[in-house]
Amino acid sequence: MVKISTELPQVFGGFAEARQNGFLAMKAIKDKGIGVVGQFCTYTPLEVFMAADLVSVGLCSTSDETIPAAESVLPSNLCPLIKSSYGFAITDKCPYMYFSDLVVGETTCDGKVKMYELLAKEKNVHILELPRRQNTPEAKALWRAEIARLIERVEKDFGVEITEEKLQDAIRRRNTERRLLKEFYELSTMSPPPMTGLHQLQVLFGAQFKFDWQEKVDEIRKAIDTIKKAYEEGERPVPASAPRILITGCPMGGVTEKVVKAVEDAGAVVVAYENCTGAKQMERQVKEEGDPLTNIADHYLQIGCSVMTPDDNRFELLDDLMNRFDVDGVVEMTLQACHTYAVEAYSIKQHMKNKNMPYIQVETDYSTSDVGQLSTRLGAFIEML
Amino acid sequence: MNHRKTTASIGIDCGSAACKGILLMDGKIKEKEIRPTGWSPKTTTREVLEELLRRADLPREDVYVVVTGYGRLGIDFADRIVTEITCHALGAEHIAPGVRTVIDIGGQDSKAISVKDGFVTSFQMNDKCAAGTGRFLEMSAHRMGADLYEFSELLKARKTCSLSSVCAVFADSEIISLLASGKTREEIAGGVIHSVVKRVMALAFRIEVESPVLLTGGLAELSVLKEVLESEIGKPVIASPWSRYAGAIGAARMIERRKEM
Repeated sequence: MVKISTELPQVFGGFAEARQNGFLAMKAIKDKGIGVVGQFCTYTPLEVFMAADLVSVGLCSTSDETIPAAESVLPSNLCPLIKSSYGFAITDKCPYMYFSDLVVGETTCDGKVKMYELLAKEKNVHILELPRRQNTPEAKALWRAEIARLIERVEKDFGVEITEEKLQDAIRRRNTERRLLKEFYELSTMSPPPMTGLHQLQVLFGAQFKFDWQEKVDEIRKAIDTIKKAYEEGERPVPASAPRILITGCPMGGVTEKVVKAVEDAGAVVVAYENCTGAKQMERQVKEEGDPLTNIADHYLQIGCSVMTPDDNRFELLDDLMNRFDVDGVVEMTLQACHTYAVEAYSIKQHMKNKNMPYIQVETDYSTSDVGQLSTRLGAFIEML
Repeated sequence: MNHRKTTASIGIDCGSAACKGILLMDGKIKEKEIRPTGWSPKTTTREVLEELLRRADLPREDVYVVVTGYGRLGIDFADRIVTEITCHALGAEHIAPGVRTVIDIGGQDSKAISVKDGFVTSFQMNDKCAAGTGRFLEMSAHRMGADLYEFSELLKARKTCSLSSVCAVFADSEIISLLASGKTREEIAGGVIHSVVKRVMALAFRIEVESPVLLTGGLAELSVLKEVLESEIGKPVIASPWSRYAGAIGAARMIERRKEM
């Protein structure tokens, strides 16, 4: 069994207030004796941790602060998400990484897989072997077995028992949460949308850092009701003339909000996100009847991501979102050195061309040095619509 | 409504190296102005505007003013701010009616733009790097102790050598070793032009290059650059004395797309 850590890091005194609050919130959870699991990927079945009464938190970092530290070990031409996440692990600067008693990685991209090996020297790491195919019986069986193995690991590390009933309950609760978040972003199917894309992203991104489930769903409910009411009372934060943009590609949040800002500063509005922060994980529900383990495995394996081959589900979701959100243009954000998304961008571009959907791909990293270029590129794209 | 009010417009393209201004009356170019951008794009843009207004003897309120180029950000005295990509497409249509592809080699970035009827249909822009830009050429010339005029003279020898680097930083050290190994400045100057074209071609191949092709930006006046570009693209390339004003002309013509308030 792991010992649940409750000590603050040595460097605590030097932290900015917002991060201190993150540390203190995590510490309050730990002081109650609750274990914390950190994870990196939308494929990670959070129901497992919920069923074990653990708190789970996303560890994908979104700042370039610790990249120099990471580059003392990792090559510099690696994706910023991987470098920055690893950097936070070795510098004790991220409250969530710091307080994670178990870190769950997965075999999505090559860079992450090898980084996890190094991370395992610093943290207690478990790796999920994610298949790259979604429809073969072997892939499905492997993924189900991997989730069973994760359950065993969690039971052993935290000394808990994850019963079928607990899993079933976790499925229901996670479904509720997914349904609410979907209802939230679907508000932007209205024309004009009742919120900016930046606002939408901040809520979607922020939701993963609310650790009390009941509080979280209440807050999302409240956000939906408030926005609806304001809209009904005539509030229009976005002009009807603003072109409606769908964002797709790599995970977004933190510093990469700069892409959303550039789109919206040019007079357009982001209505939907086909990425890990947005629709990828919220669109579908886990089946509630039948074997919970199989249902969880089947649900997660069908998430569309460029690590899969073929990646038909991503294209399907894109088409569906473009249609439902009445999209005028698609912006794809790829992170530097993310090979799977960068290569797949070509297929996405062709797909959009066939549908006469204006499309632009921008590649960026976690610095702010390209804000000028982004504003010219995305500005010209919006002017083109 | 005053007739003049609707037809006089000024477009200013404030680039990283030069600030270009154009005054249009009834769709025709009446005045042009160019000066180095210097350290304050905002001040230079204002000076260009005032100079054009003075020469045309027009009050500011009778002229529609559009500012573009990297200096557009932070300008608060324009009627509209538009990106240089949109402006280059429209300006190119003015210079070469029916133009389908614009290759713009600017001071700090380069672009390949597909155009139809003056509208952008797709475009590619280089990354945050000096490769394939005027800055690359300027740095290389400087390394050889030449200013841009001398550099263009060196090109007249029509010589070249292989410069494997497209990166300005690496090319700098490569030029030092080429000079040390006895290559002539004429050969290296030719190599620099090939390097710029190589980088620009990487952008051009990502759009569909259709004729007519117009070269814009300050470097359009280097006839060797135009020749090398033509042989790489395999299509004739138009370069006009107006090429460096393409962005400013397009900005001034944005009056045609003025949204009714």
